[in-house]
Amino acid sequence: MSASWKQLSSQILLLLISCRHINTKTSSPTQPPLAPITPLKTDVRSIVLKGESHTEKMELVNPVNLTLECTWTGNQNKLPNITGYWRKDGEEIQNSRLSVQFHNGQYNIQQVFSIVSEENLGNYSCVFGNEAKISFILEAPQIGEERDKPIISYVGDSAVITCKMDDAKPMPNTWNWYRYNGTEKEQIFVAAEPHHYEIINKERKTRLVVHNLTEADSGLYYCGAVYAIGTTMSHVELKVITFMEPLKPFITIVVEVVVLVAAILLYERSQSKKKATAGDGTTADQKNMLPQGDDNATEGSSSMRQRKV
Amino acid sequence: MFFPLNRIMSPAPKDVLGYKPPDGGWGWMVVFGAHISIGFAYSTPKALSIFFKEIQMDLGASYSEIAWISSIMLAVMYAGGPVSSVLVTRFGSRPIVMTGGLMCGVSMATASFGSSIIYLYFCIGIIGGCGLSLNLNASLTIISKYFLVKRPLANGLAMAGSPVFLCFLAPVNQYLLARFGWRGSLLILGGMMLNCCVAGALMRPVTPPDKWTAFAPQTKVEQPNEHNTKIKRNFGRNAKKFLDLSFFKDRGFVIYLIGNVMFIFGAYAPIVFLSAYAINQGVEKYSAAYLLSIMGFVDMFIRPATGLIANSKWIRPRIQYFFSFAMVFNGTCHLLCPLIKSYAFLVVYAAFFGIGFGMVFALIFECLMDLMGSQRFPSAVGLVTIVECFPMLLGPPAAGLLVDVFGDYKYLFFMCGSVIVTGGLFLFVMNIYNYHMLDKEKAAKNNEQGQKDTENQDQAKTSEVEMEQTERNGAQQDVENAETVEI
Repeated sequence: MSASWKQLSSQILLLLISCRHINTKTSSPTQPPLAPITPLKTDVRSIVLKGESHTEKMELVNPVNLTLECTWTGNQNKLPNITGYWRKDGEEIQNSRLSVQFHNGQYNIQQVFSIVSEENLGNYSCVFGNEAKISFILEAPQIGEERDKPIISYVGDSAVITCKMDDAKPMPNTWNWYRYNGTEKEQIFVAAEPHHYEIINKERKTRLVVHNLTEADSGLYYCGAVYAIGTTMSHVELKVITFMEPLKPFITIVVEVVVLVAAILLYERSQSKKKATAGDGTTADQKNMLPQGDDNATEGSSSMRQRKV
Repeated sequence: MFFPLNRIMSPAPKDVLGYKPPDGGWGWMVVFGAHISIGFAYSTPKALSIFFKEIQMDLGASYSEIAWISSIMLAVMYAGGPVSSVLVTRFGSRPIVMTGGLMCGVSMATASFGSSIIYLYFCIGIIGGCGLSLNLNASLTIISKYFLVKRPLANGLAMAGSPVFLCFLAPVNQYLLARFGWRGSLLILGGMMLNCCVAGALMRPVTPPDKWTAFAPQTKVEQPNEHNTKIKRNFGRNAKKFLDLSFFKDRGFVIYLIGNVMFIFGAYAPIVFLSAYAINQGVEKYSAAYLLSIMGFVDMFIRPATGLIANSKWIRPRIQYFFSFAMVFNGTCHLLCPLIKSYAFLVVYAAFFGIGFGMVFALIFECLMDLMGSQRFPSAVGLVTIVECFPMLLGPPAAGLLVDVFGDYKYLFFMCGSVIVTGGLFLFVMNIYNYHMLDKEKAAKNNEQGQKDTENQDQAKTSEVEMEQTERNGAQQDVENAETVEI
């Protein structure tokens, strides 16, 4: 009995190992999952190519069985038979090579792909011989307005980072926020640090508020729009600086202003002292003619006798 | 006898100003100071808009709430005119510009600590606006004190500060924003505005030259304390009238005011909507932004050039007509704009817009100085700016309303263009009428003068119109005299 148990257990063990092996095999990028497992919606996209290459962008929200159809009108040679194959993200998909006939003035290949999760998204290309190529870029709706400049904020202040999905694009199911901590993106959970972070989600917009900033909060922040097919990210950089940084140029400018004002007033005082010592008597009468407003104007030119009004 | 505040004019034309303005020398340093001061005054409200998006994100306010900051600043700057006039007349330009610069610097620096939109309204809008209003009025006044013969050129150079500083502040603000965020940028901008204090330090009060002793014997007759009491009494009377409504009895002033109100109403809306119109016509975003830069760049050179042209002996006596021509030119540009569809022609339009706009603004205060004379200019300009507050605030929203209602930008340009052209034509026609009436009055007065003695009391009892007429003739005569002396 024990021997058969051993045999059974070893067989089960082998089965388990081989199953796991099968799983890892099916998730490799070079194998297209050809047979759909659960009933998915189907969609077809056909492109007719007249030149040498074409790129088509497709936004997918939900898992789908997607049929991609490529039609090529051929070039001058118009060979009766060429090889066509599919590529995903630049690498040839195994077992996808076929012989394509020149029929009714065109070459035609098509393939059904099961797009279920994020790994299935990417750049699918159908290649005719080595001459013509049509690329289909399958992706989840991208976040349009990405902020290229960093957000600058100050220690002790609060910073607000926003992400918005275009009105034209489908609404995400939810939003997630991540922080890049040097090696990977780490999701931000408000519950873990409720006084530090605050996430406000409003359908198309999301706001991350970081309170009580410290310099350690500087870095890259990612907002992710979650769809059934996957998550699209957009990143923003946050820089936290102390108030000393703008204060230094400010103080420099204030010093420059004080120096210039003092220089101008001193120059004026020295000039009017020279004038006063040069010719004194005649200047006394002229004060009657000074326009009223300029009499009390300045302390700098007080070397001339002024009437105080 | 010819103290300006007494408002008792002696018959001799030179007494109107009381002295011969330097027209050069230190005056050019004063022009430089006025250039800086006016530059900050006009360009700061516009340059602040670069920070709005950041402030909006941080404080969680809507765009229109943030845009109010600029509007409040401009409104206070213009509305503070009368107060500023009184202060300038009392204390002279130098302390006022220095105070203004200090206020602006403090306002920006305190605004950088703000955490609510109301706080920003108060700091930037009200305090900053007050500071700028002090700067503007005082700078214009000191130019009128330092220059007479070369005054149009001095005005053109000083007013050129506005486009120069806008061209300078826009990229600087972008850089500051990227480096320090909006808070640090406001702090540093406040520091930069303290340079208005340097500009103020340059505004040395006018000391008349020694050779001007012709009227010395007459002044020796009067006792010093008599002078003082007269000055004090008259100052007290004038100080009570912040808004000296007697200006409205001056025909020339009213004409100028009406023409100006019409211009200001239509002037700013095309600037505000130019980029939007260009994008609407299919122009790409960055190219549309370039249009405004082109306009500003052309403006920078046109203002001093216009000042130079206005200074020439053919144009100077007819400067009011030149001003109306500039307005009509500006309005015509706007009227022709909707016919333009391509980007190349939009660039041409922007250039001509810059020319027209620069011409008008180079002359706008010169014409008021020409009408009012140096003594009444501070109060006049205060009154003009507070009245101009309304069209300035109402113009762009009214134009925006037109765009919303009709869905087409061309009505905006038609409205602005026609209002400005009408204003220009109004000025032209009414100035012809005004000069005609002044000549008639002058002829009548010369007949009268030939018959009776003119004493101070008689002059004081005559109507305001005659006083202005003498002042006006005096100002013009002064120009002619001064010009002949120069030559």
